[in-house]
Amino acid sequence: MAPFPSPGDPGDHRQPLPSAWPNDSYPVLRHVGDKLFRHIGKPIERKEDQRLVTGKGRFSDDFSLPGQTFAAMVRSPHAHARIRGIDASAALAMPGVLAVVTGQDLLDAGLVPVPHNPVPSTRYDVKLTAPGGGKPFIGPHLLLPVDKARHVGEAVAMVIAETAAQAADAAEQVEVDYEELPFVVETAKAFAPGAPAVWDEVADNVFIDSTYGDEEATDRAFAEADHVVKARFHIPRVTAVTMEPRAALGAFDAETGRFTLWAGSGGAVRQKRELSEVLGIRPSALRVLSFDVGGNFGARNRVYVEFGLVLFASRLVGRPVKYTATRSEAFLTDYQGRDLLTTVELALDKSGKFLALRADNVSNVGMRCVSLSPLSKGSGLITGSYVIPHATLRARAVFTNTMCTQAYRSSGRPEVTYAIERIVDIAARKLGFDPFALRRMNLVPPEAMPYRNAVDSTYDSGTYEANMDRVLELAGWADLPERRAAAKRRGRLLGFGFANYVESSIGTPKERSEITVKADGSIAVVIGTQPSGQGHETSFAQVVADMLEVPVAQVNIVLGDTDIVSVGGGSHSGRSMRHAGTVMALASDRLIEEALTRGATVFDVPREQMAYRDGRVVAEGTNLALDLFELAERTEADFGPLASVADNEMHTPVFPNGAAVCEVEIDPETGLVEITRYTSVDDVGRCINPLIVHGQTHGGIAQGVGQAMWELSYVDPDTGQPLAGSFMDYGMPRADGLPSFTAEIAEVISPTNPLGIKAGGEGGTTPALATVTLAVLDALRPLGVSDIKMPVTPLNVWTAIQKAKSNPNTDPEAWQE
Amino acid sequence: MTHVTMTVNGRPVSGDVEGRTLLVQFLREHLGLTGTHVGCDTTQCGACVVHMDGRSVKSCTVLAASAEGASVTTIEGLANGETLHPMQEAFRKHHGLQCGYCTPGMIMAAVDIVRRHGNALDEKTVRHELEGNLCRCTGYHNIVEAVLAVAKDAPAPAHTGA
Repeated sequence: MAPFPSPGDPGDHRQPLPSAWPNDSYPVLRHVGDKLFRHIGKPIERKEDQRLVTGKGRFSDDFSLPGQTFAAMVRSPHAHARIRGIDASAALAMPGVLAVVTGQDLLDAGLVPVPHNPVPSTRYDVKLTAPGGGKPFIGPHLLLPVDKARHVGEAVAMVIAETAAQAADAAEQVEVDYEELPFVVETAKAFAPGAPAVWDEVADNVFIDSTYGDEEATDRAFAEADHVVKARFHIPRVTAVTMEPRAALGAFDAETGRFTLWAGSGGAVRQKRELSEVLGIRPSALRVLSFDVGGNFGARNRVYVEFGLVLFASRLVGRPVKYTATRSEAFLTDYQGRDLLTTVELALDKSGKFLALRADNVSNVGMRCVSLSPLSKGSGLITGSYVIPHATLRARAVFTNTMCTQAYRSSGRPEVTYAIERIVDIAARKLGFDPFALRRMNLVPPEAMPYRNAVDSTYDSGTYEANMDRVLELAGWADLPERRAAAKRRGRLLGFGFANYVESSIGTPKERSEITVKADGSIAVVIGTQPSGQGHETSFAQVVADMLEVPVAQVNIVLGDTDIVSVGGGSHSGRSMRHAGTVMALASDRLIEEALTRGATVFDVPREQMAYRDGRVVAEGTNLALDLFELAERTEADFGPLASVADNEMHTPVFPNGAAVCEVEIDPETGLVEITRYTSVDDVGRCINPLIVHGQTHGGIAQGVGQAMWELSYVDPDTGQPLAGSFMDYGMPRADGLPSFTAEIAEVISPTNPLGIKAGGEGGTTPALATVTLAVLDALRPLGVSDIKMPVTPLNVWTAIQKAKSNPNTDPEAWQE
Repeated sequence: MTHVTMTVNGRPVSGDVEGRTLLVQFLREHLGLTGTHVGCDTTQCGACVVHMDGRSVKSCTVLAASAEGASVTTIEGLANGETLHPMQEAFRKHHGLQCGYCTPGMIMAAVDIVRRHGNALDEKTVRHELEGNLCRCTGYHNIVEAVLAVAKDAPAPAHTGA
């Protein structure tokens, strides 16, 4: 790990606050704009950890209520089946059973589908439409279906019983009369002629079909190009595997008519808004509590049916209802990730300069659409870190009889990074360029920033080539030949895989912060993000502590209770630090203004004479001064609590970027791949807490590496059955399969927001699919292997070696198809 | 129903459980010790690791009834009053936790690893022995650092068997 520089150290590359972004305005800060950073940028230990290392965390299943009952789901064993009838009589006769609920019961009670809003909607998101334009059909999401089950594992009924075991036993006794229907699970097959329709409303399963970019200019560039390379890749499906299985406890208070839901998610405010709509109640009649959340990675951002079901059931049986997913249920029905089929074509001139790119991306959203974030986010980044003057993209999304996909760590970006880095590598190999020189000559140079790419994303800032130089240096590029030779002597093949990346952080544009100076000597900051391990209680406190010039220990971040947090976009897309940092700076600024105004009144001096220093309001030229807490106490009677509120809306995206290297050694006899080194340089913009950011990088690397090496949510195309249903058949990254990482933070301050933040959560993951795959291909090149699919399991590697042996002259391009 | 009696975190406890009740269920549901977590149903993830008679066990794979008479330590009983156990302190210092869900089991497993290997512990051994404790957030990097930091100050290996 890189040492943490202190201000003034030679290694301290922190920069002053940026001048205003030319294309978009962000809030002007009068009082906090030139704060010296005493806490920001320091590796401060987390405030969260005391409770978490002593077993005092508050995870969803830790909550229990007197008299609580338990829910179990009846799940479809078929990928696609009409529900002809449900007979609950045997289940209802079982011991302890209180109720069985079906989709028809919910319809009869007036419940409506979950109001998913899957099309990303900020001004900067790529606009996705139905074929021919217009609003797409997304497949209504009733909590339980009434017509058909559309994937294996879909809940079709719910049992409520006195104990969890009784509920589980009774769920097996619910008789569902299914009529099996033809199904399709594979992305490539979903839009083939004659594929079974998942929804009658979309006969060919293609519900999104949009094209971007200048087609004419792209066609012209391709026609004039000296070289064209083309490849097709499938980035397979994986699942988030939050270590805490999802859980929910619902309670209904008949006296007040109010529901309460304890359920960890990616943002309680969204859960409250959408679930109250489903239940047909006023939003104020639902309180959602989300405290410690055991991992999210995107999977918890949307509503899960069980959350609404326990609420409905709690009113039905008049007692609290608890549901906790088993790990198998999590594998079947957690929102999943990736699953993109992409065909890319790159046009180059004689010298290797990139001229144009064509991409055709097909996203498999599963059996209904809850989010188009992966398709949309990837669409804006198809040209990667490179200057490619012309590009066009056809973006489609298809339904299949599988669980829904959703944003999953670095939604959409690892997929397109994989595609661009692999096609660049193929171009280099096929056309005889040095792959590093080819990348270098085409990188977006710093002087081109802000750089608008050919599909209209404007990269805010970055020094891409410097990232590349630095990561190669850290990764030991200079003595690679010696390591390769040493590995060879041991009978191992060494591979060195490199990738550049640029990703985008957009996210829900609105955020609110309320700051209150409390009588107990603390400062309470209410914010609508939802951490699940990212350390918001610490890094956010660092920001407010610097702005108000008070110790970090005095700042308490309040999250996760919708009775306190009224507005908030939740945590996704790397938005939290940037959005929360900005709105907290704004609220701090207002708090100081209010404090100065009050100070002027208390001291009876003109407002202009007041100044704010070291957490105190000071009347200049006098010895009159009060700290924030004294001031709050002195003025509460006349002016109320010393507090401020700020709302902020910020659409402009930022573009974190970097470069990474994976080094592997392969045993050619068994195909076993061992990762021996992993190196990463990540430009996160201003880094608030390097301890936390490095942790994010490490975890991100493991998730990207995991997909490339082991993970796969495989669904058998012949039966529609998911075959990875437990930790015994899903390849999780484990401690013994990973090396320690070398990660360094680059801090090129973003001009788009007052603190200069980009994002630090996704950079580890974004290039990792490419670096691992390219490392394996580099190792296997002497054996004639030019393509391999993820995950690079021993079987896949061994098979690729055998294929290459039997057919040594395979054209790399032909391999892709 | 079976009546079980054991010592948990130094305190004698007892309760009536079904024969199928797991130790982790007894700890969480009967005793309210919710620091011990459940992350899977196949003894793979290690979120439920506690110490039983001084050794780490996965409490999802021990019947409450078979812990009869045992001395059990959970994450809640690891600190000495207000003073954190060195392993708890090291996880905080080295940022060995993010969401915190795997952390109790990870710390309990790590304490046992250091007990057995002492200051002879190396990175490869830590990684091998933590293979049965899954973490999705940290990529294990800082967990390994934390465990090695504690081991550095530990006595020589204990020869009490595995």
